[in-house]
Amino acid sequence: MIKLVRTVICCIALLMALPLDGQTQSIPAQAFENVIIHTADGQVIRGGTIVWRDGLIHAVGKEVAIPFDAFVRDGGDSLHVYPGFIDGMALWGSPGNNGHNGTPEEPGNPGYRRAGIQPHRFPSNHLKTNDDAFSKAVQAGFTTAALAMKGEMMPGQVDLFFINEDMSTKQLLQRGMGIVAQFKEAKGSAYPSTTMGVMAQFRQLFYDAEAQLEQQRYFAAVSSSYPAPPKEKVLEALYPVMQQQQPFFFVANSEQDIKRMFWLQDELKFKAVLVSGREAYKTARELKKRDIPVLAGIDFPEKPEWMRDEEKDKYDQELTPEQERFRERQQKAYRQHMQNIKSLQDAGVNVGFASYGLKVSDVRENLTLLKEEGGLDSPDVLHLLSQSTADILGYGQRMGDLKEGLIANFTVFNKAFSEDKARALYSISNGKVTEFESETDN
Amino acid sequence: MTMKRIVLLFLGLCVSFSGYAQEKGSVLITNGTVLTITDGNKENTDVLIENGIITRIGKDIPAPKGIKTVDATGKYVMPGIIDAHSHIAAVDVNEWTHPVTAEVSMEESVNPNDINIYWALAGGVTSIHLMHGSANVIGGQNETLKLRYGSSMNDMRFKDAPRTIKFALGENPTRVHGQGFNVQPRTRMGVEQVIRNHFDAALDYRRDRQDYLDARDAYEKGERESPPVPVARNIRMETLVDIIEGEIRVHCHSYRSDEIMMLMRVFEDYGIKSYTFQHANEAFKIAPELRKNNAYTSVFSDWWAYKFEVYYSTAFNASILNANGVINSINSDSGELIRHLNHEAAKTVHYGETSKQDALKMITINPAIQLGIDEKVGSLEEGKHGDVAIWSGHPLSIYSVAEATFIDGQQYFDRSGDPDDMRLDPDPEGSFAEARKRWYEEHGRRGATCMEGAEIRFSKRGMQF
Repeated sequence: MIKLVRTVICCIALLMALPLDGQTQSIPAQAFENVIIHTADGQVIRGGTIVWRDGLIHAVGKEVAIPFDAFVRDGGDSLHVYPGFIDGMALWGSPGNNGHNGTPEEPGNPGYRRAGIQPHRFPSNHLKTNDDAFSKAVQAGFTTAALAMKGEMMPGQVDLFFINEDMSTKQLLQRGMGIVAQFKEAKGSAYPSTTMGVMAQFRQLFYDAEAQLEQQRYFAAVSSSYPAPPKEKVLEALYPVMQQQQPFFFVANSEQDIKRMFWLQDELKFKAVLVSGREAYKTARELKKRDIPVLAGIDFPEKPEWMRDEEKDKYDQELTPEQERFRERQQKAYRQHMQNIKSLQDAGVNVGFASYGLKVSDVRENLTLLKEEGGLDSPDVLHLLSQSTADILGYGQRMGDLKEGLIANFTVFNKAFSEDKARALYSISNGKVTEFESETDN
Repeated sequence: MTMKRIVLLFLGLCVSFSGYAQEKGSVLITNGTVLTITDGNKENTDVLIENGIITRIGKDIPAPKGIKTVDATGKYVMPGIIDAHSHIAAVDVNEWTHPVTAEVSMEESVNPNDINIYWALAGGVTSIHLMHGSANVIGGQNETLKLRYGSSMNDMRFKDAPRTIKFALGENPTRVHGQGFNVQPRTRMGVEQVIRNHFDAALDYRRDRQDYLDARDAYEKGERESPPVPVARNIRMETLVDIIEGEIRVHCHSYRSDEIMMLMRVFEDYGIKSYTFQHANEAFKIAPELRKNNAYTSVFSDWWAYKFEVYYSTAFNASILNANGVINSINSDSGELIRHLNHEAAKTVHYGETSKQDALKMITINPAIQLGIDEKVGSLEEGKHGDVAIWSGHPLSIYSVAEATFIDGQQYFDRSGDPDDMRLDPDPEGSFAEARKRWYEEHGRRGATCMEGAEIRFSKRGMQF
């Protein structure tokens, strides 16, 4: 009898335990059905379904079986689903100036921090999670961003984050994807105060890092009679770039600065990703030859007044030959700037997107300009914002599109994202859903 | 075709296919008065430039097939003017934050689209010495450029020109560093000490670095038991070593004769032999000493009194130096003066009765000697570069203007076809009013200048105090 009771109790305990195990092993799936799905390569699936579970896309398509446990939202055949946009380099959540102003005691030797050389800093350690740029970015369709910090010559590392409205450092996907570098002088009276000074400083940093690394290796190789090596963290942070394990995310805009980056690359042998690159079109062939991808900005020049339709009457007057020639050149320059991304793509350069300081509120407007004057159509823009950027960041096999097995990063809009008044209704970042209040709720 | 011409043509082809993609041109300039500078003046003479090189100077040269001919009848043909002290075409001029910044280079601070280049071409100038500023005792390295307007940073370089560096004595470095930052040098004595201390440090570095490299080599070959402690490569010290070893020529901003003497003593102590004193307003006081030391000078014709150390000056400076056998040039240090360096040279004829020939040398072969490019430019000779200007009259006449300017036989200025606007790199969003300002970026993007601290400025309204 005792044996029977013991057996029954064990069975009951096992039955009680099983459902618990089942719950922890299988997080319920979620799905949108009857939606219009836009993939990164420009395909449009009407009446489609997308299913995701545990942060991964489980299935996408027209004839997709929805798991029995899925929580399903009906898109009513009118909602549009896009791959989550990826910002190849954003300054969202970056702390501002960290006390770099004023004249140091020795302006010619201000120390690394004062000179703006901080490659050992990680955005994840300094992130202002309450920056409202994050919620604006999510509503604009972004689900992932490589975050960098504001600063001068080397403001820090690049960290890859999932982003959503409740931003926290737990959404960090990869720490230290590379180091931001730029031709930005130290603020105020401090070395380096010129572009040529910054160039020299890059070289000296590499030489100092090489010497430190060598001394550390020697120290490790011998058991005695060798002085302890320095462990300057600024220099240590450069080792992965020197050894081509990390790239420099090099911010440069003018043709000359991009060429200066080439000069440094020839000398110091680093891998590079060009960021922003307003005049990159002027160096497109060389970028292609060097296999340098571009995370292009869309901080376009403001259209000169005389070129604007609404100002035409005001400027429609007799011109001097000098004015005429100036206008011809300016118009050409304006168009070339606007078509920077298209020119790079035509030359075979891998191009992604980086807001790098552009306000989120301006991104949407400038994406419209990119279509109207930049020579790209909506699928091109979508690819730029998703798969192209993911590829450059080394995440092209994990995100950037709507395919089975990819991380569930996507946004549901009430209409095609490129249309006026398109509004995000849901953002799914790493599988986590954020639902935005609809207008009728207000 | 003579053997000599064949060799010159071959030389030209070698030059054109090596190094930078710098454009070479061919042109036959006929029947002008050719001011060769080194071989007298030749009337009714032709100059043939083929593939960037002067291949023949003589009478009635037949035009080779396909080569453009320019009639210079009644006009003067002279070598392109060389300005030994300029800051046009610069992005930044002064890395002013440390008393010694030898590691920086104007080579990396070139703006090939600066409109001032075009205006200089209109004054018959073909090469400039783009100098670092004078805020530091030992400033950055300079870069000799050919004014290939609108080319690229690389193509602007004067290929194979020797390296040069800027030094500065007197008020500028003592004001910026002594008064401004409360670091050495506060006085002219301090300036000397900064130079000596840094040269000594450079010599120590050279020894330590070489010892380390030798020890590392021995360790890697198993000839040494313990590894050495690395001595990092130091680009500032390397540059100073190169000065001491004679690989870099010094061009020193200076005014007073006592400090010029001081620097010559310092250079003698360290074995430095190739140097030019820039500005050198009091050089006339020590002309024999300069000659004895084979020092060069590069001066203004009559510009002074813009700060205290520049009051003791004379318009006879250049003529006195020339008469004492000092190789002297007249420079501009200005985006305005560079447009009429011929007038500046002419002043030496007016004030000091220098010969016209010597006056022209001061803006052609003499600056070429100072920059180490005299085997390539500075005179019209077969085998030299086709850097030539055609003048409407004698270039020392106030009424003459440059009509055409060629660099390597390629025409970069043509007065008869001078367009109304030659700004090549318009701001895609700027206004016309902003773009047409004539004086913008004359000294780099911050307006920093070699005349740092001077209370005189050129502006669109002219000269201002």
